Amino acid sequence: MGTKRLLEAAEEAVHIALKCNVDQAQVATFLVDSALTRYANSQIHQNVASKRGGASIKVVVKKQVGTARVNSLEKRQIEDAVKNAVRIAEVTPPNEDFKSLPNPSSWTPIKGTFDRKTAECTPNFRAEIVKETIDKAHSKSSLIKAVAGSFFTGSFAFSVSNSLGVSAYAKMSRTSLQTTVISSSGGSQGFGSAEQHSKWIEDIEPSLVASEAAETSIKSINPIKIPVGEYEVVLSPRAVASIFMFLGYIGFSATSYQDGQSFVKYNLNRQVFDKSLNVKDDSRDAKTLYSLPVDGEGVQKKKVQLVEDGRVSAESICYDSFTAGREKNRRSTGHSIPPIFRFSSRPRPFNILIAPGSSSIEEMVKDTQQGVFVTRFHYTNPVEPSKAILTALTRDGTFFIKNGEITKPVMNLRYTDSMLSTLKEIPMIGKELDIMAEVTAPAMKLQKLRFTGITQY
Amino acid sequence: MSIDLGRKSLEKAVKSGASYADIRIGELIDENLTVKNGIPEETSLSQTKGFGVRVMVTGAWGFAASVDLTGKEVEEVTQKAVAIAKASAQVKRSAIPWKKTAGKKDSFSTQMRKDPFKVPLEEKMEILMDADRALAKQSPHIKVSYSFFRSKQEKKLFMSTEGDEIRQQINWCGGGIMAVAIRNGEVQRRSYPSSFRGNFATSGYEFFQSLKLTEHAKQVGKEVVQLLGAEKCPSTVTDLVITGDQLALQIHESCGHPTELDRALGTEADYAGTSFLTPDSLNKIQYGSKIINIVADATAPHGLGTFKYDDEGTIAKKVYLVKEGMFVGYQSSRETSADLELKESSGGMRADSPLALPLIRMTNINLLPCDWKTEELIEDTRRGILMQTNRSWSIDDKRLNFQFGTEIGWTIQNGSKEKVVRNPTYTGMTPQFWGSCDAVSKDDWMMWGTPNCGKGVPGQIMYVGHGCSTARFRKIRAGLVK
Repeated sequence: MGTKRLLEAAEEAVHIALKCNVDQAQVATFLVDSALTRYANSQIHQNVASKRGGASIKVVVKKQVGTARVNSLEKRQIEDAVKNAVRIAEVTPPNEDFKSLPNPSSWTPIKGTFDRKTAECTPNFRAEIVKETIDKAHSKSSLIKAVAGSFFTGSFAFSVSNSLGVSAYAKMSRTSLQTTVISSSGGSQGFGSAEQHSKWIEDIEPSLVASEAAETSIKSINPIKIPVGEYEVVLSPRAVASIFMFLGYIGFSATSYQDGQSFVKYNLNRQVFDKSLNVKDDSRDAKTLYSLPVDGEGVQKKKVQLVEDGRVSAESICYDSFTAGREKNRRSTGHSIPPIFRFSSRPRPFNILIAPGSSSIEEMVKDTQQGVFVTRFHYTNPVEPSKAILTALTRDGTFFIKNGEITKPVMNLRYTDSMLSTLKEIPMIGKELDIMAEVTAPAMKLQKLRFTGITQY
Repeated sequence: MSIDLGRKSLEKAVKSGASYADIRIGELIDENLTVKNGIPEETSLSQTKGFGVRVMVTGAWGFAASVDLTGKEVEEVTQKAVAIAKASAQVKRSAIPWKKTAGKKDSFSTQMRKDPFKVPLEEKMEILMDADRALAKQSPHIKVSYSFFRSKQEKKLFMSTEGDEIRQQINWCGGGIMAVAIRNGEVQRRSYPSSFRGNFATSGYEFFQSLKLTEHAKQVGKEVVQLLGAEKCPSTVTDLVITGDQLALQIHESCGHPTELDRALGTEADYAGTSFLTPDSLNKIQYGSKIINIVADATAPHGLGTFKYDDEGTIAKKVYLVKEGMFVGYQSSRETSADLELKESSGGMRADSPLALPLIRMTNINLLPCDWKTEELIEDTRRGILMQTNRSWSIDDKRLNFQFGTEIGWTIQNGSKEKVVRNPTYTGMTPQFWGSCDAVSKDDWMMWGTPNCGKGVPGQIMYVGHGCSTARFRKIRAGLVK
C-alpha cells in the first residue's frame, strides 16, 4: 500500500468521524514493513520480518478530545476505532488547553528518500551481508571470539488527513548495520562496536563496520583501572550522539519546557554551552536519517536552531499543535511524533545535527595531556533533567590518553555530570559527521567530564 | 482467534520443511488515561490484532508476522518465515538445541472481579480528576500534577506442531499520581504508589480502586514541597535503607537482567549487553549475603509477570535464581535451557505482541522476605539514609556497576527517621551490594509492577513484576551528584 492509498484511507476515516457529529477529526494512517537479521556468537540467531499498519485517530467534540489507535488497515476496524475515539471524546471532560487541530499549510515533499532495493531486501541478501561482517571481523585476528549485531532493512509510510483540510504524507526506506565484536586473550575480554545508518542499502559497508569493531575490540583487551575524577575526554561521534539524543528529549521538547523540567527554561539567552556549539533539528538536511517532510499532524517540519553559538532561547523549543496552542502567538514547529514510531507522544527533535568543526580525532588526541577516549556510552539516563545532569557508562572501547597518545585500554567508567558544565568548554569539534539514527554528530573534545565510578572490565 | 488459521499455518510450515513451528494469534487492548493539571491530556485506546509464526528449518529459526488475519496472509507469512529460516541456516555454526515436549490443550484467564474495560470511562476519569485536584491544591509550588490510569488486556492463542493449543487472557491495570514542584529553579517530583505512572497488577479494576489515589494526594503534596527546601543528599559512605518501590527496580536491573540466560550466552551482546553471571559461575558464585533468596515466579498472585503458559507453551513455574546468597539458576527458554543442558525451561519466553518474536523476559523476580519489621529495621540503624521511589537508573552492560537516584530520602540518626534530603543517589557493584544486605523486612512485602521493561532488537516493551520489601545495605556510597 502506497502513500496514496494510505491517504485515501485516512480521508475516508475523517469522513466517518464527521458523520458522527464531531467538530474536528484527524486520522494518520501508517504502514511499517521491516525485517531484521540478528546475529550473535558469530551466527544468525534471530531473523524476523513483520508488516504492520494502522491508524491513529483524534476527534474533537467542542473541547473534548478522544484518541484511538488500531493496528489494522481494514476498513471495518478503522471504522470501529473512529467510533471508539468518538465515544471517548463524548465522555471526556473538556481539555481547556486544546485550541484546534492544525490548519492546512503548504508543504514540500523530500525527494529521494525511498529506495526500493532497501525496502524489499531479501533474507538471503541480509544473510550475505551478515556473513561478510562476521567473516571480516574474524579475519582480523584469532583473538576474535564472537561477533554479534543486527542488520535492519525496511520502509515506512504514513499519511495524515484532518477535517480542516490537512492532507500530507511521507515515505522512506531505512537500513542499519550494527556490530559488536568480543575478543579474548589471557582471560581478559575486549569489546568493540560500530554501526552505520542510512536510507540506502548501498551506503552500508559491512567490511568497514566489521574492521572498526574488531580493531577496537582487540585493542581493548587487558584494560587498566584508572582513578575516577575529572578528565579531558575525546568522544567519538557515537558517544556525542547519545548525549545529544537525551538533551533533545529532556531539554528541547515543548512538554518538558512548559512543565518547567527542561534546563532550557532556566538558561534562556545565556551562554550555556561553548560558543563553538551549534545544533539544529532539520529533517531537510541531507545528513539526517529520518527525512520526513511532515510530522504526525501533517504539519511541515521546520528547522529549529536548538543551540546557536552556545546559546539556547525560546526559539529552541520543538512544538506540536497542542503544545503550541498553550502559548501566545506560537505555532507548531512540526514536531508531533509520526504514527510510525512507538516512543513517547511528546513533541521532540529527532533530526538533530551538530555543526562540524575543523579537527580530526587524531588532532584531538594529540591535543590531550591526560584524558580518556570514549567509543560509546551505555545506558544514558537523566539524573536531574532541569540541570541537564546525565549518567552513563563507557562501553566497547575506552582508552587512556597520555601526552597526546592513546596508551592503554581502561576499564569502563561511569560519568555523572551536568552537560551545562561539561559542554561549556569544547576545545575541538570533529570535521566529519556520522549519522547515528536520530542524531548526526561529529567527534568532540571536552575539557572535562566527571567520572564517578568504574567497572571491573 | 481461529484455530483453523493456526492449523493452516502449521500444516504449511511442515509441508515447507519445518521440523518445528508455532503460531501465536493475539489481540491486545490498551487503555491509557492521563489527567494533567486538571485537564484530560490523554484518553486513548489502542488495539492490535495479528499473528506471528516461528519456524525451525534445518536447525535455524525464521519468524514472520502480520496484522492481516486471513487464510491467504497466514499461508504467505508462514512461507516467508520458512524462507527466512533457510537464510538463517546459511550463517549457522550449530543447529538449534531443542528437546521435544508433549503438547498441551488448556486455557487460562487472569482472575478478576471487575473487568476494567467494562467500567465506564467517565468513572475512571472522575477518579483521576479528583486525585489531580486534590494534588494540585496542596501547594502553589506544585506546578504540574498528574494522575494516571492504564489497563491492558491480552488474548492469545498458542499452537505448535507438538500439539499445543493454549488460550490465555491476561488482564492487568493500575495507576498513580505525581506532583512536580518548582521554586527558584529547583525542580522536585514525588509520586504515589510508585514513579513512572504508578503501580500495576494482573487483576481487575478492583486493584486500581484499592490504590485510593485521592487519599494519598496530601502526603505526596507535602513531601514534594518539603523536598524544595531540603538539603542535598550528603556525599558519603553510609548504611542505606531502601523501600520496596525502589528495591523493585534494583532487583530488576541487577538480578533480573543478569540472570536471563540469553544474555549470559551472549545473544544480547549487541544491544543491552551480556552478564557477569556466566554459565561457569552457576552454583559457584556468591551473589549476595546468606539472607538473599530471589525467585522467578510466574505463579505469584497478582504479579505483573503472572500467567499460566509462556509464549512457547512452557507452564508457569517458580524457580530459584539466588538461594541463601548463592547464584543457583537462570531464567531460560526451551532453546537456551537445552543449550546449557538444564533440566527444563524456566518458562520465561514472552513477546510484547503477536507481531514480535518471544524473548526471555522476567516474570516476577521476587526477593523473599526475612523476619524483620520495617520499623525495627530503621530503629536498628545507627546512621544511614532511607531512600524511596525511583527517579533515575543506569547499569553497565554486564550488570555490575549501577547507579540509582530516588525521589526522596531521609537521614537516619540513632534509629530514627530524621531530615528529608533531596536528589538522593547511590552506587555500587552488584555482588558487593547484595553481599552487604543484612536485613529484609517482612511486613511491607508486596508486588510491584513494571510495565516498561525494554529488551531486544527490534525493541520490545514487556510487563514484569517484583515482589519485595524494605531492606538494609551496609556501607554504600551515596550522594553522587555534585
